[in-house]
Amino acid sequence: MQLVGGEKINGTANKINLKLVLTLATSALLGSTQTGATPIPSDTTTEESWSFDSAFLYYSEADRVSAAEVIFSAKKTYNDDSILNLKLTIDALTGASANGAVAQPNVQTFTRPSGKGNYNVKTGDTPLDDTFKDTRVQLNGQWSQVLAQNFTSSVGAHLSKEYDYLSLGVNGNLAYDFNKKNSTISFGLSHFQDTFSPEGGIPKPFASMPLAYGQYNGNGNGNNSRETIHDATRMGSDDDKTTSDIMVGFTQVINRRMVTQFNYSYSVVDGYLTDPFKVLSLVDTSGIAQDYLYENRPDKRTKQSVFAQTKYHFDETILDVSYRYMWDDWKIESHTLDTRLYIPLGEGSYLEPHLRLYQQTAAEYYQPFLMQGEALPEFASADYRIGEMTAYTVGLKYGVKLDGGNDLSFRLEYYRQDSESAGHKAPGVLANLALYESVDAIIAQVSYSF
Amino acid sequence: MNKTRKIIVIKRPDGFCIQFDAMASACEVIAETDDEFLANKIGKAVSEEVWRIEDKYSRYNPQSLCSKINQSRGKPIAIDDETFALLNFADTCFQLSDGVFDLTSGVLRNVWRFDCSDNIPSHGAIVKEMKNIGWRKVEYNDTEIFLPKDMEIDFGGIGKEYAVDRALLLIKTLTNQPVLVNLGGDLATNAARKNGEPWQVGVEHPGFIDKKTMVVSLYKGALATSGDAKRFLLKNGKRYSHILNAKTGWPIENAPRSITVSAPQCIQAGLLATLAQMQGCNAEQFLSEQEIKHWAIR
Repeated sequence: MQLVGGEKINGTANKINLKLVLTLATSALLGSTQTGATPIPSDTTTEESWSFDSAFLYYSEADRVSAAEVIFSAKKTYNDDSILNLKLTIDALTGASANGAVAQPNVQTFTRPSGKGNYNVKTGDTPLDDTFKDTRVQLNGQWSQVLAQNFTSSVGAHLSKEYDYLSLGVNGNLAYDFNKKNSTISFGLSHFQDTFSPEGGIPKPFASMPLAYGQYNGNGNGNNSRETIHDATRMGSDDDKTTSDIMVGFTQVINRRMVTQFNYSYSVVDGYLTDPFKVLSLVDTSGIAQDYLYENRPDKRTKQSVFAQTKYHFDETILDVSYRYMWDDWKIESHTLDTRLYIPLGEGSYLEPHLRLYQQTAAEYYQPFLMQGEALPEFASADYRIGEMTAYTVGLKYGVKLDGGNDLSFRLEYYRQDSESAGHKAPGVLANLALYESVDAIIAQVSYSF
Repeated sequence: MNKTRKIIVIKRPDGFCIQFDAMASACEVIAETDDEFLANKIGKAVSEEVWRIEDKYSRYNPQSLCSKINQSRGKPIAIDDETFALLNFADTCFQLSDGVFDLTSGVLRNVWRFDCSDNIPSHGAIVKEMKNIGWRKVEYNDTEIFLPKDMEIDFGGIGKEYAVDRALLLIKTLTNQPVLVNLGGDLATNAARKNGEPWQVGVEHPGFIDKKTMVVSLYKGALATSGDAKRFLLKNGKRYSHILNAKTGWPIENAPRSITVSAPQCIQAGLLATLAQMQGCNAEQFLSEQEIKHWAIR
């Protein structure tokens, strides 16, 4: 815009620009002064309106599971500062997941969880069950309200439904602000009730994986007897579990630039905690699998965690660092360090690098396989997710403010997980096979707020 | 400030008129309502807001934030959201005017005294003051401002207009009856009068003895005036207006004696009037081309 004193100005472009720029500058000035100036009563200046967030997330593990997720959330803020938050999440999961058995120097055949049909795993490959396919619909509702001066409460409900899984939950939270709202103590409770009805039923602990049935059409008798054998390995069609959490939190504003938060949570999970799709290889002294036995986990787990987070606002950038230490009575201990740096680029756009480091020890009953001839333990699982592992995530998010004031952001992350031996000796052929495989995954997300 | 502050409420046939002094001007609020309680409430809210802005941004008040910034000698001074927003607005003005409008140009007062005399400062004196002018040398963010030593900022160019707009925001929370706020000629209204007629506003030019008060009509929105009725220098038949070009340190030549502009908000009207003055002899043409309603006196 050229507008030099004394020089002639003309042109339509200038005209539009000047009025537009002035209008924008004025609304920025007169719209943003409520905090510094006499407060303007909220009943006439704010409107009760909805705001919406949507996101599409794609997660893909190399050769394994991939997931696509759509999130849609709506938020309404009322004039009395009550907030209603509704969130719908739909995800579709496809691909292959490790079934717990170890790799072998020969082709292995496994029965699908349904009992109908089987799948083969190539020599030297970590056995993956490729029947993994599921769609999950999740609904969350949360209502927050100021109860009295400095007291804020929040209640919520949760529903999640998969083909073979139903989860229902409720939660409540009470927060108290003090010290001129520079400090907040909060207390929360939540309870979840889950029902699992896996295809093919719930296997009995350490039952041998039965042969598949129903795949040889016409061989009626054989099928019938195989179906009977399959059914004999099951103890029911569904089971359930409950999860109860208690959380206490403390948030402290240190100064204009820094805020810290501490949480402690205690969680009890009770019920069916075994994964009905996971088996352990029963190997002989030469390391060759003789059988596959369904895993068995304790029916109770008590978890505790402490969490600390600090956000520091530099002149421009914001650093967000958090650390979580979790331990449970399965003897799993984990450390999570999460760091984000928010870098504004001007005009509402920003970059946000992300680094997350994770380390976990194995559950005490974790073992990569069972040895033939040894007494069966009370509990055992070869699920890599409760084994010893380290993982990291590196990512970058880019956000931009669109002309209409809506936010658009893109996130791309790389996840790497390395499973490690928890000290189990690998006999015979297993010494030369990969027992602890790594997982690589790419996470891509697009979010839009309006 | 030690001045006693008071408001006077006068009953008129069609409502109430509240008068008070602020920002070196006679101020009035005209409320078309029969509700005396409401009129008092409006008068109190508006006067307190205008005085608040005066106390915070006046360069004449040694306790003001503006004075604190001007006396900071190069040290950062903490600011709030309101000040940050005003600085952002001033930054937009600086850019729109290509540097002619500059919040730091007030130090030119040290050499230019518009007292109707023929005291034109020397070229050297102006060059010396120009060293302490330059909006680009001012650094600020949402929490603090850094003003280099020997520089000053002056909200005089936007403060009164801003106060008018703030007053209107307050009024909108109190009533939707027609109200007009007039702070020494910079004014705005929330609605047309009850009889459907526009507000008739007399734009006074106390310096022009031979001119009658100019009356302008206003249904809704704001008016601001930039003029040099009493503030000019006259030497060798050449008239120097008080509108200074921050880029040269010299007054704008051939500017209208007074120009009144209408816009939705007072602070817009004020800036447009100033920008127009900066066009000198092209002031009216500049506003006409922007399709902005205005009244000029040459």
